[in-house]
Amino acid sequence: MKTDTLIDLLARGAGPAPRALAWRRLSPAGVAGLLASAALAVAAFGPVPAAMWATAIPWAKMAYAGALALAAGWLTARLSQPAAPLVRPQRVAAAVVLAMAACGAVSLWREPAGARMAALLGQSWAVCPLNVLALSLPALAASLWAVRGLAPTRPRAAGFAAGVLAGALGACGYALSCPEASPAFVAVWYTLGIALTGALGAALGPRVLRW
Amino acid sequence: MPVDASPSDFESALKPLWLRAQSGDDAAYRQCLGLLAARLRAYLKRRLSAFPDEVEDLVQETLLALHLQRGTYDPTLPVSAWAVAIARHKLVDLWRRRGRREGLHDALDDVDEQLLAAEPQDAGARRDLGLLLNLLPQAQREAIVLTKLEGLSVAEAAARTQASESAIKVQVHRGLKRLAALVRGDTPP
Repeated sequence: MKTDTLIDLLARGAGPAPRALAWRRLSPAGVAGLLASAALAVAAFGPVPAAMWATAIPWAKMAYAGALALAAGWLTARLSQPAAPLVRPQRVAAAVVLAMAACGAVSLWREPAGARMAALLGQSWAVCPLNVLALSLPALAASLWAVRGLAPTRPRAAGFAAGVLAGALGACGYALSCPEASPAFVAVWYTLGIALTGALGAALGPRVLRW
Repeated sequence: MPVDASPSDFESALKPLWLRAQSGDDAAYRQCLGLLAARLRAYLKRRLSAFPDEVEDLVQETLLALHLQRGTYDPTLPVSAWAVAIARHKLVDLWRRRGRREGLHDALDDVDEQLLAAEPQDAGARRDLGLLLNLLPQAQREAIVLTKLEGLSVAEAAARTQASESAIKVQVHRGLKRLAALVRGDTPP
């Protein structure tokens, strides 16, 4: 077939292009991933005591994870569009992580010197990142599926962004079950879990995001 | 418009046409695809010196991809930057399939400088899309043949096949996606 014939074929009856495509795919994937993470967290680890919801703790965790999810979602949407600029969503994501790190640092500084290590490590520092990663897996599958239907021209970066999105959604679900109270704990171990999911996404990206 | 217009002239001519095409102007869209095909042909020819026979196939594969991914175009971007990013993605994919390792040396953001004088001649691809159309499932092939080759409207095609109008649109989209996949994976005769 000559290229001109193909062009005629594509153009005939083409109609308007679909709009806001990236968000229309990513939003339902994100919601599904978040619900899956929340359900798994409660089923596997049990919910935190009701009294904890009267404190700021679980809300603060969800605020951090939610803000990072939105920033990572924005970055993922951009990476799903060829040649789209990335600077602004990258800056917002970095700002969210740094803000949480600053909160964590301030909270540690406020602790008496002997209690700082205990606050930072909590009771579950070793399992927390792995739990976040595990809870993020459905969200990772959903996000990668969403991106795969778009046009990522940098598959490793797009995989990483989708992984950070999934990790943040997983962390949001984990906040329903996590008994830890220190902002420093959240800044380090939640972020590590999110980064691990990002790394997994980056590893899968070049293989999965072909189109 | 002269075929060897500079990249910025090309973009300032293409963009208003493209925006009309995105809103549903099929004639503008047809014109854009023709202009893009000529520029992409030159871009890919320079980079496929090892596989000159593959150039036209890759032009067609890229046009299919541009069509299927129209929804990812952001109006704040230059159209040519968007199109070249897609072309380069397809090029890297071809090199990977041909055993050459990834590792492009041109800067990722330097897209505008890569657009050279256009090549309007259509050398003819090696893969016969007409044959590949026959490999599509019945419903997809029929939807494409009726609306794209025989020129029926969606409503007329729906009446002819006793399907709904949205079903016809879905089948056309799926058929073009399948065609793109066949063009990717198919080995030339």
